[in-house]
Amino acid sequence: MSDELQIELIDVDKHYGAFHALKAVNLSIRKGQFVALVGPSGCGKSTLLRSLAGLETITAGTLKIAGEVMNAVPPRKRDVAMVFQSYALYPHMRVIDNLTYSMRLKRAPRSQSEAAAKEVAATTGLEKLLDRYPRELSGGQRQRVAMGRAIIRHPKAFLFDEPLSNLDAALRVHMRKEIRSLHDRLGATSVYVTHDQIEAMTMADHIVVMRDGVIEQQGAPLELYDRPSTRFVGGFIGSPAMNFVEAVVAEDRRTLVIEDLGSVPLPGGIMLGAGETVTAGLRPEHLEISAGDGPGLHAKVDFVEFTGAASFVITRGAPGLTVFNVGRTTLRPDEAVRLTIAAENVHLFDRETGRRLGA
Amino acid sequence: MKRIISGLWDGKGFDIALVVVALGFLMIFAGLPLIYNVVMSFQKVDIFSLGTFARPFAGFDNYRAIFADPIFVPVMKNTVIFIVASIVGQFIIGFSLALFFTLDFPGSGYLRGLFLVSWVMPGLVVGAIWNWIFAGDFGVLNFALRELGLIGGNIFWRSDTNFSLWAVIIANIWLGTSFNMILLSVGLASIPRDLYEAAELDGANALQRFWTITLPMMRATIGAIIALGLIFTLQQFDLFAAITSGGPANSSNVAQYWAWELSFREYDFARGATISVLMIVLVMIASVVYVRSTRYEVRG
Repeated sequence: MSDELQIELIDVDKHYGAFHALKAVNLSIRKGQFVALVGPSGCGKSTLLRSLAGLETITAGTLKIAGEVMNAVPPRKRDVAMVFQSYALYPHMRVIDNLTYSMRLKRAPRSQSEAAAKEVAATTGLEKLLDRYPRELSGGQRQRVAMGRAIIRHPKAFLFDEPLSNLDAALRVHMRKEIRSLHDRLGATSVYVTHDQIEAMTMADHIVVMRDGVIEQQGAPLELYDRPSTRFVGGFIGSPAMNFVEAVVAEDRRTLVIEDLGSVPLPGGIMLGAGETVTAGLRPEHLEISAGDGPGLHAKVDFVEFTGAASFVITRGAPGLTVFNVGRTTLRPDEAVRLTIAAENVHLFDRETGRRLGA
Repeated sequence: MKRIISGLWDGKGFDIALVVVALGFLMIFAGLPLIYNVVMSFQKVDIFSLGTFARPFAGFDNYRAIFADPIFVPVMKNTVIFIVASIVGQFIIGFSLALFFTLDFPGSGYLRGLFLVSWVMPGLVVGAIWNWIFAGDFGVLNFALRELGLIGGNIFWRSDTNFSLWAVIIANIWLGTSFNMILLSVGLASIPRDLYEAAELDGANALQRFWTITLPMMRATIGAIIALGLIFTLQQFDLFAAITSGGPANSSNVAQYWAWELSFREYDFARGATISVLMIVLVMIASVVYVRSTRYEVRG
């Protein structure tokens, strides 16, 4: 990864009529970086990707690829490759013709395009499938052809639009690794759109969380996990999702009182007056089931889900808390539990704006 | 008996019954007349033997007579010109319109629907309207061409032997264009948008996208359109009856109109049937070509 910027978005806006799809988006992607755009559907992540490709034109701002302003440049002159969710393979062409399509358009000599196709087929494991038609391939194989078609062009950037969402769970995990290792081998710059935060966490160097056309937060995966800058990011990154409860700062300003449940410690270095109400974010994996009486959150078990390696304990009440418990538990519904959490693991957010409070 | 009835209700019997109904219908209303027509072309038929099936065998006499007829060559030439010009005209205009309507401008849906009006109208009515348009001294077509400076004097479309066939061709193109457009529109709509986007990113300009994506993906639709176009143009009778009646001097006479003239004007049913058999052979050849071209789905 170098410091050279490969993609730069400066105050980019996109309107569809009255709908404001992208709002003052600023994003810099370095050469060789793997960037994931995540967010719920309708957050603007696909619009952003399609704007990079040139399939959508931005309304305002500047879009640069490899230092050149691309605002009005048509897709075919941007030198970026895209892998579509549907793969968008040309159904009337064999695999080899799908791969060499871009080269044939440039009237590259046949020997040259065939050699390039063979090379790409070797990296993507398609050697034996070159003479097949897309309809004769499995989902994973089609996915590989779509990637091969992008690789053969040596583009300035690879754009992935939810490429794994049509695959079954096992294949998805496998392709995750494959795409990432391909990215590393090619030294490519990749922008990857997904709604699956696990994909983003496992694949990307840099995650951009979007919501309603705005970048909520961007940074390294663990940075987003450790210090979500808004309540939304806290809830979006991490699985199972973070628990949110209303909490009032106690008189001693050392604990937070949570109605009907008990108390949790107040993290240090936060300027809050006694009696102030905030939203506390407690990750399921940070809640511990403790024995005996004492401070903490007191609740009754509603039900328990076992996944084998871990169990999820969900408590009664509104809101019910989810607790991630490694291994198996003997807890049964209606049993009373005491939950404790370390002060540094309590995330606090402003009740109105949802912004993170404190460090 | 009981077995047969129960088989009819719950087993294969029901499927077979359905097929038999359809096949029976086809046999009675299409198969038998076809065979009757072929048989008649090998018989001596006159107005008195019309009621009986047992007529004197004529061998290839009827065929020889048709081939030897002085108007055989001009009529066949007219038929070929009529078919080719009509199909090419309908296809090119229909395809252009279909592409135009993919632009999806406001009101495009309604406008496209309006084009179907031409297909709803009876051929004789269309012919009558075109007669006014073609009229030599007050027709709007002559007026337009004159004002555009394309012609010096009036063209007598229906009575000039150089133009009579083309008058029918123009009317027929107008009649068939909307059908072509609708079928081609459906074909265009079935091409996924992201194929065009992928091609655009791969570096294809608009013309290259049309040649490498649109046309090959439309292959089956285009094959069907041309095969159906051939059948519809060979069936086209109303326009000839309404516009030129095959004249003047057979300059716009075509096989299907000639067959009708021989059978129902001159009551020479045998020769009328003979021309029909020749047309069947032509359609069969076209059908085989069509079926072969669509046997292997879409391939570039």
